[in-house]
Amino acid sequence: MKPSLITDHPFGEAYAKHLGVAPWRGDLPGPKVEEWRFTPLRSLAKIAFAPASEDVDVDAIPRNVPRIPGAVRLVLVNGVYRQDLSGTGLGKGVEVFQGKVAAKQGSSLVALNAAYAPASLALHVTAAAKKVIHIISIGAAGSQPTAFHPRINVTAEPGSAITLVESHVGLPGETYFSNPVATIAVGEGASVRRYVSVDEDSEAFHLATSLVTVAGGGNYEAFHLGLGGALTRQEIRIALTGENANVRLNGAYALRGASHHDFTTVMDHAMPHCTSSQVFKGVVDGESHGVYQGRIHVARLAQKTDARQEHKALFLSRGPAIDCKPELEIYADDVQCAHGAATGEIDENHMFYLESRGIDPETARALLVEGFLADAVNEISVEAVRDQFVADIGNWLKRRGAQ
Amino acid sequence: MAANQETAAAVKNVEQYKYGFVTDIESDMAPKGLSEDIVRFISAKKGEPEWMLEWRLKAYRYWLTLADEEPTWAKLIYPKIDYQASYYYAAPKQKLASMDEVDPKLLETYKKLGIPLAEQAILAGVAVDAVFDSVSVATTYKKKLEEMGVIFKPISEAVHSHPELVKKYLGSVVPYTDNFYATLNCAVFTDGSFVYIPKGLRCPMELSTYFRINEKNTGQFERTLIVADEGSYVSYLEGCTAPQRDENQLHAAVVELIALDDAEIKYSTVQNWYPGDADGRGGIYNFVTKRGACRGKNSKIMWTQVETGSAITWKYPSCILQGDNSVGEFYSVAITNNRQQADTGTKMIHLGANTRSKIISKGISAGHADNTYRGLVRIGAKADKSRNYTQCDSLLIGDKCGAHTVPYIESRNPSAVTEHEATTSKISDDQLFYCLQRGMTQEEAVSLIVNGFCKEVLQTLPMEFAVEAQKLVSISLEGSVG
Repeated sequence: MKPSLITDHPFGEAYAKHLGVAPWRGDLPGPKVEEWRFTPLRSLAKIAFAPASEDVDVDAIPRNVPRIPGAVRLVLVNGVYRQDLSGTGLGKGVEVFQGKVAAKQGSSLVALNAAYAPASLALHVTAAAKKVIHIISIGAAGSQPTAFHPRINVTAEPGSAITLVESHVGLPGETYFSNPVATIAVGEGASVRRYVSVDEDSEAFHLATSLVTVAGGGNYEAFHLGLGGALTRQEIRIALTGENANVRLNGAYALRGASHHDFTTVMDHAMPHCTSSQVFKGVVDGESHGVYQGRIHVARLAQKTDARQEHKALFLSRGPAIDCKPELEIYADDVQCAHGAATGEIDENHMFYLESRGIDPETARALLVEGFLADAVNEISVEAVRDQFVADIGNWLKRRGAQ
Repeated sequence: MAANQETAAAVKNVEQYKYGFVTDIESDMAPKGLSEDIVRFISAKKGEPEWMLEWRLKAYRYWLTLADEEPTWAKLIYPKIDYQASYYYAAPKQKLASMDEVDPKLLETYKKLGIPLAEQAILAGVAVDAVFDSVSVATTYKKKLEEMGVIFKPISEAVHSHPELVKKYLGSVVPYTDNFYATLNCAVFTDGSFVYIPKGLRCPMELSTYFRINEKNTGQFERTLIVADEGSYVSYLEGCTAPQRDENQLHAAVVELIALDDAEIKYSTVQNWYPGDADGRGGIYNFVTKRGACRGKNSKIMWTQVETGSAITWKYPSCILQGDNSVGEFYSVAITNNRQQADTGTKMIHLGANTRSKIISKGISAGHADNTYRGLVRIGAKADKSRNYTQCDSLLIGDKCGAHTVPYIESRNPSAVTEHEATTSKISDDQLFYCLQRGMTQEEAVSLIVNGFCKEVLQTLPMEFAVEAQKLVSISLEGSVG
């Protein structure tokens, strides 16, 4: 069976001509490609996307961007780094510059990004950075459907440390498609914390790929939040390439309407004595569709690996769908690997407990949902960020109440 | 403990595949290869009615369109199969009326296997429908079962004696368009068992078929159909061993189970076909489609499998839970050693309300083997208050094997609850040390621990099968330790 590809897409010759660059020769993955079986791209491919304009007037940062106290903001509009909107005073230990986009081989979407990304927003971390860097990617479509391809490149030198927050939001208008690629190299003994929130416009497409490598003794902690967008996918590929590397990857999604959100993770244990843990939680409402597919790969060499993975999803109504595929692929024997997955709805007993204490059903439900997602959100080790993400989820729940 | 001592003894005694020998019986073979003529030949050999031939031909013609659809998604590596290089029909020559007429050589074979047919029928109270290659040669206990209204006969006979039942149910769970191997089976299936349990009857004995691949280069294409009418119960055993040889043999069976209102079917398999030698030469290619439909309310289907043999195993016994309150269960032990590869699991399709399913899978991988659990739990929008529990544990013995878990969970109903847990680990050093310091050898200790690891599954087997299965578990891991 040949994996079917979507060859008829808007990112070919005409798109390239607009930009004056060589066209992307690839195809989008079709539904027969195993990794895309739960997330069809047909609807995306049918829209006649044009390259997004590089200079758009943006008066203010959208309100749904989290406010992280003391963070330095770096703003991308339609994938282009905007110094005029960005903050200064990064402090010691980190440099920001516009770098080249490496034409690295990878998945179709990474190749698509490489073909059309204007430049990369590169962060070079040389020591323990004091300030939190907050990268904000804004989609501004205007009068016609547009696509853009943000590229973020983080290199953390051995022994350095940095905390990054990444927000993906959009301005109201036509449909847009954001195709961000982040490459993150965590050096030996370095520590990178990265907190991503995707709260795109309800008509927007967002297909993000994170390519992370963690060298020996390195620490990578990440949290990914998915709150909006018509079709969102956060694909996170992490390779533990040195001994004693440690990864904590967590995430949560809350969906309503016809939103589709897909978390795809690949945890590649290539070396011995590494640990990884994953906690993903999701709630689905309306006609939404939540997807989690996570693969843990333990190479023959990677003895003494400890790898864990968990996904739990909660239905808030009749109508949504949840698809889950936690996968273990293990070639080393002296390892501890486990995954768990569960789906269900809010426990009637819990509702009864709260209601019998005089709490109205809406509040009770909101409390339980918050508590459910808290298992994942509480994994965020930076308090300011954790509080902000908890607040974002609270707002999402309020929006539900208002409907 | 007695069984464990036996296990240890078995490990010591068995140096190589115990059941490796070829019985020399002149076969009535169809020419090599597959064509419409071969399908007609098989059908004619069986003296089948026109409708049966038409069904086969329909399947064959459809199969021809599937040339590019041979499944490649499983985690299995094997050379491309040349379907024209196989024989599709081989039958022992003599047609037999009773047990007395059974070729002594055949009976001898069964004795070597440790399953004396006649003896077993009497002593164990098991009616045996033995399939030797492709034609059923001996059917015992027929009369007793007949008196109670149970139909237990080769499917080739049932086509003549009960065409209305066969027409109604054949292909109703696994249609001829289902998948590449099932379609092939529809076209060329030679024989298998047909079971019908009438309303309200609890079948008093375990029904059993011993399959055995004998003729060189013969693909085996059994077709089993079991129908449990309202309120009935049946336990069916399937077990198999095969002679040792170097060429790979293709096996593509189809098993269909149908449980109507309040009926229950228990289907147990012990599979220990020739797995190939230590370097991966030879061995059976086992591509099986097994599926049960819980059509009626309160019906139940339970699959238990112990898979220790075959070079390649591709097998997903599934349950379609259509009736409200129906139950599907899947218990599996899959052991791979040397160069064996297994990709096995189940599908639980919840359609009715209050349907429940349980999956317990134990995968053990040793040597250079790869063992994959692949399972699907699908909750339909109408399956209110459904429940699934899945547990997949893998054990790795040695650092050159692989264990993989690929579960799919698709839920469309808020009130349904699904739970999935999986772990992968090796034999704990503490447990091993405990056994060794009490004077057990390394192999005895491993076999004891592995048997304990599988216990949850093995104990669901009928007694006589459970004993055999325990021995098999240890034999299969032969040479993997130390």
